[in-house]
Amino acid sequence: MYSNRKHPKFANEYIVHWMLANLTQGMGVQINEASQRIDECLLRFMDQLELLEEKRERLNSLIEQGWFSISKARYSMGNKQVSTLQYGNEIEPQVQINVRLLENGEAEFDAQRVECLRSQHLEKDLGRVEDIGPKDEGVRRRGVTKEENPKDQPAAPRACVSRETSPPNQGMSQHQDPLKWFGILVPQSLKQAQASFKKVVELSAEVATLQCTVVATRKELQALMGNKQEETPSTEADKQKDTGNVRQSEEESASDS
Amino acid sequence: MAGRGKLIAVIGDEDTCTGFLLGGVGELNKNRKPNFLVVEKDTSITEIEETFKSFLARDDIGIILINQFIAEMIRHAIDAHMQSIPAVLEIPSKEHPYDASKDSILRRAKGMFSADDFR
Repeated sequence: MYSNRKHPKFANEYIVHWMLANLTQGMGVQINEASQRIDECLLRFMDQLELLEEKRERLNSLIEQGWFSISKARYSMGNKQVSTLQYGNEIEPQVQINVRLLENGEAEFDAQRVECLRSQHLEKDLGRVEDIGPKDEGVRRRGVTKEENPKDQPAAPRACVSRETSPPNQGMSQHQDPLKWFGILVPQSLKQAQASFKKVVELSAEVATLQCTVVATRKELQALMGNKQEETPSTEADKQKDTGNVRQSEEESASDS
Repeated sequence: MAGRGKLIAVIGDEDTCTGFLLGGVGELNKNRKPNFLVVEKDTSITEIEETFKSFLARDDIGIILINQFIAEMIRHAIDAHMQSIPAVLEIPSKEHPYDASKDSILRRAKGMFSADDFR
């Protein structure tokens, strides 16, 4: 139904039906504002569906590529060398999704690699290194207290050292490449699999955003249609009134004659 | 990092999970709770459903990726989820290609075009 070839046809078919329905309803005289808004919304909805379809196809083909590469890696490494058993004991995410909620209830998803964030943090940290200078005053003050409490002397520098060294160590453990779970010298195909799944992750955020947009547009369309249906009975009643008035005037004119 | 960004959760067969973990999606949190479920032959539907619901309840998950054949097993739970976050994405699996007519989102979109709409 939603295959790439059939989809535009599917869209056009319904748009033609829709336009005809509107024309017949408005007796071919005027397309009122509500109908126009519905038409615009419907066209937007169809465009979004088409885009979603395209992205879906790309996503699916990338996933397939990834599986193929995993299978190749399994063939060269051995059957049980690429399985759940090799997963690391500590797994840290390397991708994060930034979610933004828009006013109309839509959500925007954006995948961001942690390496990018890390480089941003490193830049910030470099900035901080420069800031450390004035803090030396505090150390000097400690030097004054050292004379007062000689027992605390060795403890303070150790604490400082541990604070200084711990963040880089954490960083190393946090951002271990999952590729290393499967060995140090992994085949090229496994690297290819990783590359295609990285792309899939980015694309899946885009697809998720599009899905939200499609759902939101659908709600908008339904609301517009609901409004129009509420309006139509009144216009029909008006028309009936008009025809009633015409009949009355005709009868009056007939009686006069 | 956990404070700002959200995670991608995966419910899928072994190869799907392995692939996405290679892509850097996986996480084992402080309670050793993973953000993925490897569905094997002996995995029960209730287990899948409970895991899916636990992912829905977690506020650090932004997108849930699920193999379509697994989504079919817990279709009622997926259809019941109407919020935009977390977004549920159905993906193909090795044995089962992606079928758009089964996808919850597209089914909802298609359901719009009933005969009544064109009167």
